[in-house]
Amino acid sequence: MEITEGVPPVINLTEVAEREKEEFEKKVSELIIEFGAENLLACMQCGACASICPLARVGFEWYNKKLIKAILIGMKEELLDDPTPWACVACNRCTEICPRQVAPFEVMFAMRRLMVEEFAIPTLAIEGLRSLYEHGHAVYMTGREARKKVGLPENPPSTDSDEKALQDLRTILKNTKLAELGLIPME
Amino acid sequence: MISETVKEEKKLKFGLFLGCNISFNRPDVEQAMRKIFPALGVEIDDLVGQSCCPTWGTVPSIDIVGWCAVAARNLALGEEKGIDLMTACNSCYGSLNEARHKMLKNPEIMSKVNEILAKIGKKYEGKAKCRHVAWVLYKDVGLEKIKESIKYSLDGITVAVQPGCHFLWPSEVYPDKEKDPFNPKVLRELCEALGAEAPYYTKLIDCCGMGALRSTDPEKSFILVREKLECIKEEIDADLIVTTCSSCLIQLDDAQEKLRKEGKINFSIPVLHYVQLLAICMGFDPQQVAGICVTPRDEVIKMILEGGKR
Amino acid sequence: MPKIGVYICHCGENIAGAVNIEEVKKFVEKLPDVVVVRDYLFMCSDPGQEIIKEDIRKGLVDRVVVAACTPRTHEPIFRKACEDAGLNKYYFEMANIRDQCSWAHWHEKEKATEKAKQLIAAAVAKARLLEPLEDRYVELNKNVMVVGGGIAGIFAALDLANAGFKVYLVEKSPSIGGNMAKLDKTFPTNDCSACILTPLMVEVANHPNVELLTYSEVEAVEGTVGNFRVKVRKKQTYVDWEKCTGCGACLNVCPPKARVPDEFNEGLSLRGAIYIPFPQAVPKKAVIDPDACISCSGRWFGEEPRRTKDGKPILAPCEKVCPTGACSRDEPRDPNGELIELNVGSIIVATGYRVMDKKHFKEFAPDSPNVITALQMERLISATGPTEGKLIVPSDIPKYLEWKKKVEKGKEAKLEARKPHVITFVSCVGSRDERFHTYCSKVCCMYMLKQAMLLKEKYPDLDIYIFFIDVRTPGKDFDEYYMRCRKLGIKIIKGKVGGVQRLPDERLLVRGYDADLGKPVELISDIVVLATAIEPNTDLKDLARKLGINVGAEGFLRERHTKLYPVDTMTEGVFICGCAQGPKDIPDSVAQAKAAASSAMSLLAPGKMRVEPLISEVNPEKCTGCGICAPLCPYGAIEYVEVDGKRRAKINEAICKGCGVCTAACPSKAITLHGFTYEQVLAQIKTIARKGVIEEV
Repeated sequence: MEITEGVPPVINLTEVAEREKEEFEKKVSELIIEFGAENLLACMQCGACASICPLARVGFEWYNKKLIKAILIGMKEELLDDPTPWACVACNRCTEICPRQVAPFEVMFAMRRLMVEEFAIPTLAIEGLRSLYEHGHAVYMTGREARKKVGLPENPPSTDSDEKALQDLRTILKNTKLAELGLIPME
Repeated sequence: MISETVKEEKKLKFGLFLGCNISFNRPDVEQAMRKIFPALGVEIDDLVGQSCCPTWGTVPSIDIVGWCAVAARNLALGEEKGIDLMTACNSCYGSLNEARHKMLKNPEIMSKVNEILAKIGKKYEGKAKCRHVAWVLYKDVGLEKIKESIKYSLDGITVAVQPGCHFLWPSEVYPDKEKDPFNPKVLRELCEALGAEAPYYTKLIDCCGMGALRSTDPEKSFILVREKLECIKEEIDADLIVTTCSSCLIQLDDAQEKLRKEGKINFSIPVLHYVQLLAICMGFDPQQVAGICVTPRDEVIKMILEGGKR
Repeated sequence: MPKIGVYICHCGENIAGAVNIEEVKKFVEKLPDVVVVRDYLFMCSDPGQEIIKEDIRKGLVDRVVVAACTPRTHEPIFRKACEDAGLNKYYFEMANIRDQCSWAHWHEKEKATEKAKQLIAAAVAKARLLEPLEDRYVELNKNVMVVGGGIAGIFAALDLANAGFKVYLVEKSPSIGGNMAKLDKTFPTNDCSACILTPLMVEVANHPNVELLTYSEVEAVEGTVGNFRVKVRKKQTYVDWEKCTGCGACLNVCPPKARVPDEFNEGLSLRGAIYIPFPQAVPKKAVIDPDACISCSGRWFGEEPRRTKDGKPILAPCEKVCPTGACSRDEPRDPNGELIELNVGSIIVATGYRVMDKKHFKEFAPDSPNVITALQMERLISATGPTEGKLIVPSDIPKYLEWKKKVEKGKEAKLEARKPHVITFVSCVGSRDERFHTYCSKVCCMYMLKQAMLLKEKYPDLDIYIFFIDVRTPGKDFDEYYMRCRKLGIKIIKGKVGGVQRLPDERLLVRGYDADLGKPVELISDIVVLATAIEPNTDLKDLARKLGINVGAEGFLRERHTKLYPVDTMTEGVFICGCAQGPKDIPDSVAQAKAAASSAMSLLAPGKMRVEPLISEVNPEKCTGCGICAPLCPYGAIEYVEVDGKRRAKINEAICKGCGVCTAACPSKAITLHGFTYEQVLAQIKTIARKGVIEEV
């Protein structure tokens, strides 16, 4: 993960715009749209999404509204280190109430996808992906005492007990962008 | 003389989609479902070979097609058998339905997904969807049947309901919708069917702080759960918190204990998934259907088995 | 004995909330000659009026006193009700127990009740002395003068002319068209301004009922509604418009020394001393600007020409090149032009606006040629602008003009003007600013969006920033237009720019604030566009004074009533529309113009006007002909005549407005103001002085 210095006290829009033009193949907003936030440009910064955002409530800096604004003016590098998008609980209350149908949740997740391309991805997420690939479960536990305690068989009827299904899942994952990016070892 | 139109009773059958948290963290919820549904006349298919939905922090954070492909494989397991999926986890409910919504809305995504599925000899047409256990109980089984089926009722017991975010929004993507997602009634009515009081409280629809927020910054996550717990305590002084989401269950149960140990709260409210509560009321062994918790629930279970508060 | 009915209105809670109606009723019942007292929730409503009518029809009452709101709006309603029921409508008197009573003393309910009693008692005292009067009618002149030839004036003139009224359209510039002629495209449909305006300019100029008086100004106005006498000065054009064909031959020969900033291009280019304002001008006639003309031939109009050695007269280049002799300097010309007099029944003021000059805004580097007003930006992107619509930085316009000159002469030349990459718009410059104007100029948000949209659509690589305090788009299809802009990728930043600084390369450092991110931002911009405030024209106050109409604190013309009489003024017969009344966009200006035209029509169409008989009359037997009254009359309605060989004052009924100045001033009490006689007014005053006790007659 490239370490950037974050957003400076004064934002130099000229530098931001020039970097967007010269260094990136596409504008940040175009990438975000491509990564799923189709209606990004409709945002009018009303702030309704931020008013009910759990992240904004607990003090994350780049919650939905601000992240969208930063993207609209072409910021990217400055945001790569920020944990906010990875803290998004995907609650989607913002999507429900957005008066412009921007679906701020989609922007948060498109930002995650953009960060992943820059390998700005938290270790926990890598671990989850690895676990998904290895076991078919993002949350996976080897100790099965709990299952036994409540009278269930040790293995759930999932990829955990079905080798063919696990291989199928791996085949699928190998044919997605996850494999293209090479974020986790895949045999 | 007798005159009637003979109707064939449609047998209810769902693929039980477990998800990671219920499989490994809270298998008592799984056990509760395995007990209650057959008893209510709902057949369960094990959906052998299911996997993670995929949850938000994994493939959905990488790309949309990958997300949809993993979801589609799970949904296809039901579609092959002509049945819908059913889950007790809001995250699974959200991820699977959002993925399905994206595939149905955007044929390009759907065809890319099917190209990938073809490699394992599968396809997904968008027919099978994922239902939420709460909705199955509310709509398919029905409140009357639930009332008939219980041995113990919650007379005099006040519950705080926690439907959870992915039970509500974005309402557009879900197969079943609350009339007013900002004042949800389904879980309240389900609890009332068991004889409980399930009043409104101000932070009823607020996020519990679980999920990515919890893993990214537990301290910040606890702010939300604490606000919620305090609201429940102050406004309705609930005997019990009932949720229909396995993530909310873990957060409200786990974090409560942590907050208590840190001296940030000085009360304790037991937390149950609705299917656990129903299973207890139906007379199943609490050890099996509600045996795993951090915040003690023995007292409230005892109270229920002894005929409620009255 | 008169039979007086008193009707007390609750006005919902407006009156009843402060005045104890029951107590007032009990008081009024005891007043002399009062035979009926009734109260009702809304006396002006249909059922309320019916209560009064029924009492009149049954013969219960023959004088009506309504205690309610203001006679300004409601007296005509109740008079009509009396008339409908068969009572002379001047047997009606109104007591205002709302505006100056319940509202004013809302928190002193007892005092309000007491005051209401006295006001009603005073009205009753007057009602006992009322006399029946008959309405009069005055003849109306059906001609209308429209002042201002912009889009509002044009529409007002056209609507009136089409309805058969003769219209004088007075415009101070040499051409009609106004500010709209300078615009490139118009929001929210982006249709070309010239394309929709030019046909209207031609239509109004050619209309048989319209007399176009361009390059003319209103000098004096006399008279009143129906009979205004207006003096209009036709300014000296120094070109014979009878002969001028608008060929434009003179324009290019005017020497460089005589060139001055071109008004039509908002100073972005120069024009000659002889000029036609713009190619689509109507009328398309040249004028000479005497302040700019350097008399390059060495003679002024009417002077003997200098001659060459062989005796040929030396002519000015314009004179020489003119194919029709319109520019001849042989005849002397009166620098004051010509004064003409118009007789009109109504006047519509549509003098428009001007935009503030950038020079006022020191913080935005106004000395930089690349800091421009939005109206200058219109010219810069217009196909009729200084660069024919080619987008270059304004500091390079001189380079462009030189290049164009060379190319026109057939020389090879390379254009070295710089194209902008970044354009920044700054909103609310001089608007919503206590230092300049407190109001919102209303159209800036939309025209900034429009300019940004036009630029971005034409040059997608341009980086465009718009700094807003907030985006105001309250019009039909306006917010949708705004969304279109956002979707084009125009960067819209909430927060105002606080500083612009000039860089050595003539680019500009812009310092703004992004309220969404909560941080200051800065950027380098090639052009900074200031959305400077719309303000009233400098001479508007002067014109308003001549017309006897009011201007508000911000200098725009004030309407009689914001909601109910939006195009009327306090002077009857004078209507206002367009930006002279306040900042507004084209759709609103046109709508108001049509409203003003239709108000003038409904005033003049009957050909005569009912005038209330509440005017003054001289009793020649009492009048001593002292001569005090006539000079005091603000309407010039009093003259002195011989009556039985003696000098006596006489009041012209058609002109008198019933203001009462003469009545009050007459030392021998010879003048009666009908409806407000000495006896009536004194009875009112005495009643109030006696705290509601009416003196027996």
